Formats: sequence, structure tokens, C-alpha cells
Amino acid sequence: MSLPISIVLPGDKIPPDSLPKPQNKKKALTLGPGLRHIPPETIAASIAGALVTDNKKNAAWIEYNSGRYLPSTGDLIIATVHTSGGENFNCSITPNTPLAALPHLSFEGATRKTRPVLPPNSLVYTRILSASSAVAPELTCVDPSTGKSEGLGPLKGGMVFPISLGMARRLLAGRKGGVSVLEGLSEKMGFEVVVGRNGMLWVEAGSVKRTLAVGRAVQEVDEGGLGEKGQKKVVERVLKGI
Amino acid sequence: MAPEALLSPLHRADGSATYTHNRYSILGAVNGPIEVQRRDEMPEEATIEVNVRPAVGVGSPKERHLETLLHSTLRSIILVRSIPRTLVQITLQIRSLPEEDAMLGVNTSLLILPHLLHTALLALLFSSVPLRAIVTSVLVAIPFTKGAGPLLAPSAKELMRAKPFKSIHVFAFSGDRKMLLNESDGVFGFEEWDEACEMAEEVCCKEEGGVGLGEGMEVDGQSATENLEQWLREVVKSKVEREQRWRVAT
Repeated sequence: MSLPISIVLPGDKIPPDSLPKPQNKKKALTLGPGLRHIPPETIAASIAGALVTDNKKNAAWIEYNSGRYLPSTGDLIIATVHTSGGENFNCSITPNTPLAALPHLSFEGATRKTRPVLPPNSLVYTRILSASSAVAPELTCVDPSTGKSEGLGPLKGGMVFPISLGMARRLLAGRKGGVSVLEGLSEKMGFEVVVGRNGMLWVEAGSVKRTLAVGRAVQEVDEGGLGEKGQKKVVERVLKGI
Repeated sequence: MAPEALLSPLHRADGSATYTHNRYSILGAVNGPIEVQRRDEMPEEATIEVNVRPAVGVGSPKERHLETLLHSTLRSIILVRSIPRTLVQITLQIRSLPEEDAMLGVNTSLLILPHLLHTALLALLFSSVPLRAIVTSVLVAIPFTKGAGPLLAPSAKELMRAKPFKSIHVFAFSGDRKMLLNESDGVFGFEEWDEACEMAEEVCCKEEGGVGLGEGMEVDGQSATENLEQWLREVVKSKVEREQRWRVAT
């Protein structure tokens, strides 16, 4: 990064000249994770990390890569079914947190007569419908406006690999995230991946050996903080081993 | 000498830190926000649980006393209302103490209190639990010897040389220079206490009108060791650099 990173500690007040300068003056300032507004006009950090601003969106947030995943509305996650109740599946998002409800009818094509059957410990790719500190999060597998699944639903086969929350964000950010390892691998082998914002990566590549190779490659890139060149090396080594 | 901090030594915990200073070594871990037991649940606030484990043997009333002090101090810096009905579990394992610790003839729970507080704070910072402010803490010891000035954050060896003591004090300040904790032991007058308090504040908080955001990183080694807040900034800087490695890596 060419810009110097401004590091903030909890309780640091963000000076007005560090906040984004929007071209469009009418746009309201958006505060992302790690920042809180203390009326009337103090903005303070609540998490230790790097302050990032976006002038176009008039947004500011704190970038960090540690700690537990906190559910927020609209996130795509990989949930684990814990138990099945009368109307809902009780799913766990992160260990030791209250279970989230996934209604039986929130799958594509599900009716009262034809409900999906998911045994405990099966994995579901879902979207968080609502999350707040007041109530337990609610999940869904369909787009409420169209009724289509849009790729969400139960994940069959494959394996789950734990990755850091920052890595999950990078994988979902596309080109900006700077992860090329999956594209590199996909030139020589076919596989399916699903990225959950809760720090989970699901991989299915046909055989156990290939699945493990893909999952471990991503984990290696995550742990080492590898750049373009480092990722290319990983890709070469993995493809040689298959 | 500035304390040493090792980041995230435990990979299962949400946040962890190893802290070493003056031969006191402590391992801290934070899990949270997690599900809280029904009887500990508070409708509008997070529950905080502090566990202090001694280096040898099982916990005693001394550890329980430290836990209470830590609990009330940390409670005032964690944004408990933003994560209601959850639990933040803080575990502090004392790994080693200096040999002189038991021979000083002073209240040993006060000697370790600043170190425990720093470890807990580091672990909390790495677990990304929302905090209101940071906390820094320091020990001040006032010896009996005439003419000897108060000792600031002394090592066990320095304490051994200067004993016996009139009084010892522990002060903790938040980032905005508010006193969060004061524990004193011994005989002292108000002037002495005031002097000790001023000394502690100088070490804990950075001076008014000092370095601001972004420019605070170019501090020379000398001042970084003298000021605890600057030391904390250095630790967080290394954490952020580690996380942002991929941006600069080739």
C-alpha cells in the first residue's frame, strides 16, 4: 500500500481531516465496523486496527483480522445444522454462540409437504436475513423477492477448511482482495468452492486428495500473507503434486 | 525497559497474548462474545468473566481478589452495552514470577496487578471485542529511606535493594487520562499519594497536544520505552502490519 496506514486504538477520536472527503456533499457519512458515533459529532474507534476510508462512498471503517465473527445482515455464511425443530433448523454460525434459525420453508421449492431433510452437522450456504444484538440471527436460503435460491442451499460432499475472517473477506472482494490462487488452480483442475464470511471455506474437487490440495493451498496463502508471486509458487507446487 | 508482547500464541482462542515484563510472564486469552449461562445473563449488558490462574497450585483468595479488581476495571473499558446477553471470558495464566517476589515483604498481589491488566488488555485488543478506551497501569513504590525518591515500575531486583517500603501504589489510567483503578498499601500522606499519582499519569498517558493520528508512528526508541501508551501503539502497529502483509507482498 502506498498510503501510510493510520493505526487507531480503541477510544481514539478520529480527527475530521482523516474522515473521507466526498465529492457529493449531500451523501451522509457511513461508519463501518469498529467506529462509533458519540453525539454530537465525535467519531471514535472501538477496535484496534487500520483506519480505511472510501471517498466515493463517503464511508470509513476499521480494518482488522482477528477475533470472532459477528453476524451482520446480508452476509453469506456457511452454517452448520445443529438440530431440526418444528418449523426451523437450528444452525450454528460460530461455536459457543446462540443458534440461528433457518426456516424449513426458506429453501427453493420447499412447501409444507416437501420439506428438505437435513441431518445434524450438515452444512448449508445461507444468507443472514436479520442480525442485531437484540435477537438471535435469522437465516434464509432464498432471495425474498424472487423466491430463487441464487446458489444458496445445502452443501453436499466436500470438506470445510477454517480460514481467517480477513481471508474470507478477501476471497469475496474479487480482484481487490488480491487472491489469485484459486484462479491459478482452476486452469488445470475443476473444483467448486464456497466462501462463508464466518471464516469457512468449503471445497469439493471430486476426490479427497484434490479437495485437500485446494483447501490447504488457500490456507497456506492465508497464513503466510502471500502476494502474487508467492501464490503462483503455491499453485505450481500443488499442480505438480496431483 | 518496555514490556515484551507476543501476539496470538493460541490459535483456538478468539484473542490471546503473551506478556513479559521485569521477569513477570503472563499468558492471556479472551473468548467472546459467546453464549452466556442463563443465571449470569444480564438483559442489557455483556457479562465479563475473569479467571486468574497462579503459576503454581490452584487459585486462592489472592487470585479471587485480583479477579474482582480486574473485573471492575475491564468492565469500565469494554462496551458492554453493545454486546448484550453475551459473555466475554478472560483467562490469565501466570507463567513465571521473579524469585524475589515472595521475599519483598509487601503485598504481592499489587506487584502483579499492572502486568495482569496489560495482558488482559492486549488479549482484548486481539479479540476485537469493542472497547471504550485503552487502559495502562503502573506500580509506584515509596521506600522508607530518606532522600530516596519513589520508584516507578521497578523490577523485583530494584525493589529488593530499596526495601523496606513505606507504601506501594498501583494506578491505572484510561486513554483519556481518567483514573480507573487505584490500590494503595502502607502508610502515606496525601502529598505522597499525589506525587505518586502524577508520576504514574505521566508514564501511562501520552502528553497533551502530543503526536496525533498517523504521525505517531515515527517515535524514537527512547520515548517509546518511557510511555506505555506509545508502547501499546507499537504493539498494535505490528499486529496491523502482520494482517496487511498481503498488500505489500509480491
